[in-house]
Amino acid sequence: MPDAVSPNQGTTKPFPPTPKPFTPEDETALREALKRCSPSAFEAAVQFRKTGNPEHVPAVVIGVIERFVEPDLRMKLKDADDDLRLIEDLGIDSLTMMEIVILVEDVLQMTINNDELRNLRTVGDVKTFIDCKIRGLTLPKPTKFIPIEHIGSVMPVQPPFLFLNEASVSSTAANGKYKISGQEFFLQGHFKDNPVMPASIMLEAMGQLAVLYLLEGAPTEPGKVVSPQTIFFTGCEGVRAHRICKPGDILSLSIKPKRMKMPLATFEGAIRVGQEKAVIVEEITLTFGLVDAVDAPVPINGTAAQSAVAAPVTVAPPLRVAINA
Amino acid sequence: MPRVFITGLGFITSIGNDAATVTRNLRELRHGFEVYPPFQQPEIPVKVIGTIKGFTTDSPDPEDWTFPAAYKIKRELLRTMAPNGLFAHCAMLQAVADAKLTEPDLSNPLTGLYAASAGSPYLLHYHNNRLNKVGVMRCSPLGIVASIAGTLNFNLIAAFKIQGASCGFSSACASSAHALGYALDDLKLGRQKRMFVVGAEDGNVDAILPFAGMRTLSLQTDPNLASRPFDAARDGFVGTGGGVALVLETEDEVVRRGVTPYAEVLGWGQASDGWNVAISHPEGNGSAAAMTNALRASGVAPENVDYVNAHATSTLIGDISEARALRAVFKDAATRPAVSSTKALTGHGLSLAGAMESAFCALALREGFMPGNAHLTKIDPECGGLNILRATENTPPDLVIKNSSGFGGANVALVFKRVA
Repeated sequence: MPDAVSPNQGTTKPFPPTPKPFTPEDETALREALKRCSPSAFEAAVQFRKTGNPEHVPAVVIGVIERFVEPDLRMKLKDADDDLRLIEDLGIDSLTMMEIVILVEDVLQMTINNDELRNLRTVGDVKTFIDCKIRGLTLPKPTKFIPIEHIGSVMPVQPPFLFLNEASVSSTAANGKYKISGQEFFLQGHFKDNPVMPASIMLEAMGQLAVLYLLEGAPTEPGKVVSPQTIFFTGCEGVRAHRICKPGDILSLSIKPKRMKMPLATFEGAIRVGQEKAVIVEEITLTFGLVDAVDAPVPINGTAAQSAVAAPVTVAPPLRVAINA
Repeated sequence: MPRVFITGLGFITSIGNDAATVTRNLRELRHGFEVYPPFQQPEIPVKVIGTIKGFTTDSPDPEDWTFPAAYKIKRELLRTMAPNGLFAHCAMLQAVADAKLTEPDLSNPLTGLYAASAGSPYLLHYHNNRLNKVGVMRCSPLGIVASIAGTLNFNLIAAFKIQGASCGFSSACASSAHALGYALDDLKLGRQKRMFVVGAEDGNVDAILPFAGMRTLSLQTDPNLASRPFDAARDGFVGTGGGVALVLETEDEVVRRGVTPYAEVLGWGQASDGWNVAISHPEGNGSAAAMTNALRASGVAPENVDYVNAHATSTLIGDISEARALRAVFKDAATRPAVSSTKALTGHGLSLAGAMESAFCALALREGFMPGNAHLTKIDPECGGLNILRATENTPPDLVIKNSSGFGGANVALVFKRVA
């Protein structure tokens, strides 16, 4: 039947959409939909609907999330840290997540599928995800939680010089933890009868987290992966130590990519102990090289293999977006 | 089998939002009817309902609703409620406080909750319209649990962290009487030690107006004359919503907690007409059988019953059927028990009716009165031969029957006894 047309074809919308004319009726509907959100969220939504400019999207998304968060937790959103977790930090359950999704869909005139939702764990994930959808970019890889065994198997650095107990990696950041056990060999001499974690080792630990990011999170060219044998330290700037760290302290490490251009990758990083700032590094730069995916060591699980093949084509925009967001 | 007692009550009704107000209005025969603004259109001949005061629930968005400041309800709970869920939640809070229950008393494997509402036709309608308008994948994720039959039990079980038996009952206007009967069974059989029984209805346009097609709604425009059960001039029922909660507990729990019960629940019975989907049996066969079963299960002789809180809704056919059923059960002693329908004051609460009127019986037993049948000018001769109370009697009843009947010809009778 050559005339047969799938009933869905007629309704498939081009994406990203060219902004449709924004009528007064649309504005009324938008005002009603966002009536419990901040005026700035409404204003951003109006601007987005009029211009299609994705710059307005983060304000809308934050405004919508804020509206569904219990009032006593809303303060957390004010300092809008992208690592803020939806479930653990904001108390958002899966039902509330659906409320957020449907309001965002309605307001931004977009469609979000069920399988796309599963990987959204942080405020940053949501912002990046929606930004990519609006710009028509391939979605970045979701945040992966990497246990110690897996860290050991992929990292070129090994004990006793590995300073990561656990880590999570997304395409926009990596976070890790390391507990100073007191058994580290160098603490015998640093210092005499007074074990203190060397600042240089803490810088090393952030560098190791950046290495893990390059291996597990960084978007690469199709068919290529970062080779563990090619990653080396090249330099760092703006290192400041704020707190003496001793055995028993749990270091919370975080790094974010600032620039990536073969063969250099530059990150900013921080270490905290609880809420206290321990070390800040403004820039830490590594050099790296790519190899063909087939020549790479066999990944430990199937999902890693799949994501390596399906890695996003465009590298820069999602990263820049994430950092700006 | 353990004895079972009513130890707590909560009311959001057209005649009051607390036990004291409800008791006063039952005693003084003050009704809760008002001309209902949404009905004041030329094409709607129905004008009056039993209104819930102090609540506004006319928006489909629960965050627009207003309710007394004493009730603190988080958005997380409110977002999945229908109006009847809000009424019932407030009634539950009252009942919990009234029965002096602590958090561990609520949330344990031996405490359950049975509930009855017709769902929310209003929200179901709204959400289905929205689905058609904005698309299948963009309908509200909370629309289902807020609107389908069962919304009441879903919400209450989650909000009060109920861990025991839970179920919704759906036999139209007999629903919450069924819920109470089965709750009693679970307590008597030792399956549970405490049961909440909750009835609630939206009582708004979408809940009430569909009955107009059957011509069962009163078209009276005067709130003082609209609901007249057993009266010759009655012309149909007046709708109402609200929420009522009862706490039922076994004797052991009553003793352990040292609380004073309202009344004992002796037993219950049910029977069906086997007759018509919506018309009650002309001789009231099912209702009579339900009362006989309830009396037998309670070990009570008909002549010992002091008061019957009738189902009588003020419809032409229904009231006559029930009058015949009462004469059949009480035979020569038919004028012995006092009979009244408190729907003359509240209106017909549909799924709420059985629980609401059982709670009225509990108040009457504890406070020692029998509410009169308001708005009675001339008793319909077809409803004669009964001792229908024209005024409230301040005689304490010992044994009370509560009748409820619903679509399909479902009939329930419950027997309550004064705590000496």
